Amino acid sequence: MDLFNGFFIPLKEFFMVVIKYAPKFDQAVLLTLELSVFSIALGTIIGLIVTILKLTKFKGLQKIAYAYISIVRGTPLLLQLYFIFFGLPLIGLEFNAFISATIGLAFHSGAYISEIFRGAIISIDYGQEEAARALGMSKIEAFIHIILPQAFKRSIPSLGNQFIIAVKDSSLASVITITEITLTARQFSAATYNPFPILFIAGVYYYVIITILSKSLKALERRLQVDER
Amino acid sequence: MKDKLMIKVAGLHKYYDDLEVLKGIDLDVHEGEVISIIGASGSGKSTLLRCINFLETKNKGDIYVNGKKIRRSAGDINKLREKVGMVFQRFNLFPHKTVLQNVMVGPVVIKKAKKIEARNKALKLLESVGLEDKADVYPAMLSGGQQQRVAIARALAMNPNVLLFDEPTSALDPELVGEVLQVIDKLAKQGMTMLIVTHEMGFAREVSDRVVFLHEGKIEESGTPDDIFERPQSERLQAFIASIW
Repeated sequence: MDLFNGFFIPLKEFFMVVIKYAPKFDQAVLLTLELSVFSIALGTIIGLIVTILKLTKFKGLQKIAYAYISIVRGTPLLLQLYFIFFGLPLIGLEFNAFISATIGLAFHSGAYISEIFRGAIISIDYGQEEAARALGMSKIEAFIHIILPQAFKRSIPSLGNQFIIAVKDSSLASVITITEITLTARQFSAATYNPFPILFIAGVYYYVIITILSKSLKALERRLQVDER
Repeated sequence: MKDKLMIKVAGLHKYYDDLEVLKGIDLDVHEGEVISIIGASGSGKSTLLRCINFLETKNKGDIYVNGKKIRRSAGDINKLREKVGMVFQRFNLFPHKTVLQNVMVGPVVIKKAKKIEARNKALKLLESVGLEDKADVYPAMLSGGQQQRVAIARALAMNPNVLLFDEPTSALDPELVGEVLQVIDKLAKQGMTMLIVTHEMGFAREVSDRVVFLHEGKIEESGTPDDIFERPQSERLQAFIASIW
């Protein structure tokens, strides 16, 4: 009797809450996915641009790139999001919450992604550029056709890591009013006074999203590995 | 036949900081001529070759191709490199491209050649180096000798006037050296102008019209293979020949 009351009844209750509330996360999951996809895509573009700035021979552009990276890496993401959403409007730059969050997350991961790209590019054997240049390619042609494809392939494992971090970082958007998975979980917890099953649901959603992401990255890595020895 | 001046190197100096690696090199290369450059390691052989192709910059002296002086502008240098092909010691094939793509990429990217034409030409070149059956595999699947033959085909795809070989067989297992030398020999017979930095003395003697002996950044002696190998004049060349035979 004790076992029944102490274990099975709460277990049943747990699953009742899970079954009832899991579907109510649909909008939240969608928002988390949108935030992740947009910030990863934009962050990758920013990362590539910043990498190219760093590799140019113009000192001014290099300085801008390094200042950007050092600011992003030197301050917390949470503070950056607050700054964009609450701080920038005071100087007339106002975006809605979703745009603020996307910009903030993209700027953040862009800095890390640019470092990943730079590492991959300088790891390519110098003989590759020499061979391309010796054929008569310009620096830019050699970069686009020879260096970048190899560097991109080499950066996939670290890039995948960064993408996973970006999905999890999207939970911080909850502090600037975006009802993605984490904020939704908080709201349902408050409404039901039963945080355990609600947070469990949120965890499962994140886990599934990230597992799918990391499996697809592994598949991409394998596909591109045809030419490795 | 061999009267048209293809490459002229005049007063070439090359420094690495304070170290003077090349100390005033003058060299004329005529059309159809095959010149081997020999010498101990550190004598500046590879550096000379790389200077001709401007892979080494910040040097003093002038390079002329077909009578035209090459200025140190990106445009001039890229044009020069289209006419002067290079084959490297470590092959430097592009690992993310198939053998066929490696040979096609120069004409397609640089000369904006039509893909289909570049492809046909690449297949012909691969056939001429005996690798037409490897067109669709990646370089990592090939032996060193096969990779070097692809690298030669890649350089030929740009229709160069001159080919530079930087120790083309030094990174190969001994049993693979022959197949690469055969390809170079065939090119020599077809009248290709070539400058070859090599340690293969037997081959240098066979294939060359002229052999240049470099010592401490200077041309110590040059002449026909027989002059160099049978009747070496300078003591250093005599010592060098004695050390390798």
